[in-house]
Amino acid sequence: MSAFAARTARALALLSFALLSGALPSGALTAQDAVTVYRGARVLGTGGDPVDDAVLVVARGRVQSIGPAGAAIPAGARVVDVPGTTITPGLIDAAWDGGLGPNEQNEQGSEVTPAVRVLDGLDPEHPTFQRARRAGVTTVHVMPGTRNVIGGLSAVLKTWAPDPAAMVVREEAVLRATLGAEPSMQNRAIRGGRVESMYYRRPTTRMGVIWEIRRSFYDAQEYMQRTADGGGAGESGDRGLEVLARVLQGTLPLVTTARSQQDLRTALRLAEEFGYTPILDEAQDAHFVVDELQRAGVWVMVGAPSADSVAGMASVDGAEPRFSTLHKLAQANVPFVITTGTNGLALELVREATFACRFGLSRERALAAVTSLPAQLLQIADRVGTLAPGKDADFVVWSADPFDPTSRPLRVVVGGHDPSLEQ
Amino acid sequence: MKLHFPRVPVPIWPSPLLFVALLATAPARDLAAQDLIYRCENLVVAPDTVVSPGELLVRDGKVMHVGGEIPIETRARTRVVAFDGATIVPGFVLAHATLGQERDLAERAAPMTPGLRAAEAFDPFADELAALPRAGVTSCWLSPSSDNVAGGLAALVKPGRAGDMAMGTVRVDQGYAKFALGRPAAVEQSAPTSLMGAVDLLRQAFLAAGRGGGPVDAAVSTVQPSDLPELAAVLRGERPAVLQADSRAELLAALGLARELGFTPVLLGAAAAPDLLDRLAAARAPLLLRPLRPEMRDEELRLPAELERRGVPFAFVGPADQLRPAAALAVRHGCSRKVALAALTRTPAELCGSAAIHGALRRGCDADFAVFTGDPLDLGARLLATYVGGERLFGDAPPARVDPRELAARGGDL
Repeated sequence: MSAFAARTARALALLSFALLSGALPSGALTAQDAVTVYRGARVLGTGGDPVDDAVLVVARGRVQSIGPAGAAIPAGARVVDVPGTTITPGLIDAAWDGGLGPNEQNEQGSEVTPAVRVLDGLDPEHPTFQRARRAGVTTVHVMPGTRNVIGGLSAVLKTWAPDPAAMVVREEAVLRATLGAEPSMQNRAIRGGRVESMYYRRPTTRMGVIWEIRRSFYDAQEYMQRTADGGGAGESGDRGLEVLARVLQGTLPLVTTARSQQDLRTALRLAEEFGYTPILDEAQDAHFVVDELQRAGVWVMVGAPSADSVAGMASVDGAEPRFSTLHKLAQANVPFVITTGTNGLALELVREATFACRFGLSRERALAAVTSLPAQLLQIADRVGTLAPGKDADFVVWSADPFDPTSRPLRVVVGGHDPSLEQ
Repeated sequence: MKLHFPRVPVPIWPSPLLFVALLATAPARDLAAQDLIYRCENLVVAPDTVVSPGELLVRDGKVMHVGGEIPIETRARTRVVAFDGATIVPGFVLAHATLGQERDLAERAAPMTPGLRAAEAFDPFADELAALPRAGVTSCWLSPSSDNVAGGLAALVKPGRAGDMAMGTVRVDQGYAKFALGRPAAVEQSAPTSLMGAVDLLRQAFLAAGRGGGPVDAAVSTVQPSDLPELAAVLRGERPAVLQADSRAELLAALGLARELGFTPVLLGAAAAPDLLDRLAAARAPLLLRPLRPEMRDEELRLPAELERRGVPFAFVGPADQLRPAAALAVRHGCSRKVALAALTRTPAELCGSAAIHGALRRGCDADFAVFTGDPLDLGARLLATYVGGERLFGDAPPARVDPRELAARGGDL
């Protein structure tokens, strides 16, 4: 046998082994690749009208089709009968407080840490992922904590994937900044520390917090100018300034966590000053500033709308939550999403949406606020947020309408993976 | 070729003065007298090479010959220390220790101190060092603490003679570079305070080192430009890197960083390794594990066997007296004897870049070995003696004497 023939034979042997062992995606058949049909449910969140008694076909981790009753079922498909249930897209929590170990949410070495990436500290098997999944949440947005003025870069993740790398939907999705009391508190050395401790370096006032943001963006503007002048930005290695510059250039959203009306107005003022469009987070006092929010055309991520107060350290911000906030935002056409956020009083995401319905929000708008709208906000709508052919097969089979208080998730499918079927 | 040595008449009434004079006037004979052959039932040259019966010729603190390699002439004129029925193994290598110098090995001025040298903190009279030979440990990497993200350079140190002369030595003063991802965040009053902050510090410092300099933009504080060459040496693979990472998040961050920057660190601690076996194997990330203890969970006890199955190298680091029990437990839970013994000897030497010095009893290696009454992984076997650089620092040994059979075979002609 010639050397070429030997090499070819070896390559073919390797290829056939790879195909047989499933190492190559094409031609390999795994449990997720098998066609599964969920039959008989009412399917919501398709981007159109609800589909009753639907035939939802799933294969290779994606939705293949959603047909009405009687739609063709592919030959050899596994059929899961779910009559009387409701299927929605998997819920998306756009401000989720899990995934990081204790004391891992905040890098407090400095008050401005734009280049810190939440993905570097993430525990992909943190029990909060499972907890969220069991409550119907299939995608989460993890941001750095709220102790820094500018905390760092967030990540969007699935709550399940075959391996941790596959959980990542978007790296560096947004940059988080926080206004109010949290970044200016804890301003004392812990347990007998000395005055030169780094914990004394924080701003101690609201104006100090705001100055840190302003100074950071001044630095970023100067950096951008230097870059434009051919100052060799790429070689400077100042990744923090590069991140801030992306905000000013409009290629990286800045989520500003602001709870009280004072902080919400400050967030809008800063954005106007530096010419970026912020996403406002938490926003318990949004009901006070609806008109300003509408004029600014900003998105609002309302944290825990069911809570009548803000728990913990952030309570000193003085925000006064109202149950009617979401209804008012909807009436004013201010785009918003519902999150569980940082408030310790938050319920499960679906219950937060249920609560919003109780106080006047339509069910369609409530569902959108935890599915399609957060997908749009986080720029992942091409994959998740609605149920349509080609999108990720992330959905929840609810025992009843999801916003019925007695409803519970029977099956939570992420990327076509249905643990109930494996059991 | 037969070597001829001058015959020295043995005085009938030797005086001490005459004896000293004889030593001073017979250099060739003295050289031979300094050589020693250690004879045993089993000589473990390296975990996969056992010579039975075994002989080890030591000269000037180094391994000169093993077994049948010993020239006949040398054999005839060299005194023999016969450990009948015993097993000689390479001395155990401790890949990471602080030897009671924890405070001096944790520089609190900054989290990034890659240029510091642990050798500067070495106390040659430390009790912890002198105690190593009692557990068969013959050399130890004194390492900067895990409190710093980049702690500095480790030093290979060795215990010295026992008693009033218990003075250890530094064998390698600038060894592997020590890094940490998990512990620094837990150190109060200093940066970083989070894993992501520690990762950011390392990333920025390595990126700067890869660029060959320039400012470092890290979340917390900067690495000094003079420190960058040490990091660049790690990136080029010229200096091994030991990186402390324990939890799942820390291990994943370490693997991600290693992939991103293009180097393969030795992971220290790796408590969550049982959860990440396949990923560790895919990254070919070697591990320095804490010693196994009988009360551990089954998955922890089976970790060495699982790592062996996946071809992931590992060694044990921890208190010296727990190393041998750890290897024995690993064997009990499915690990092969060869790999378990390697985890105490050859593997730590290879992972720390010092395999040419120790970890095996090959020609040219330091004569660091331990003598056991049997298989060292059988905890019923007793440690008889420990030699460092050919010098016995622990235990007893039979008297060294010329083998009468060899003497007779040479016709009594030395």
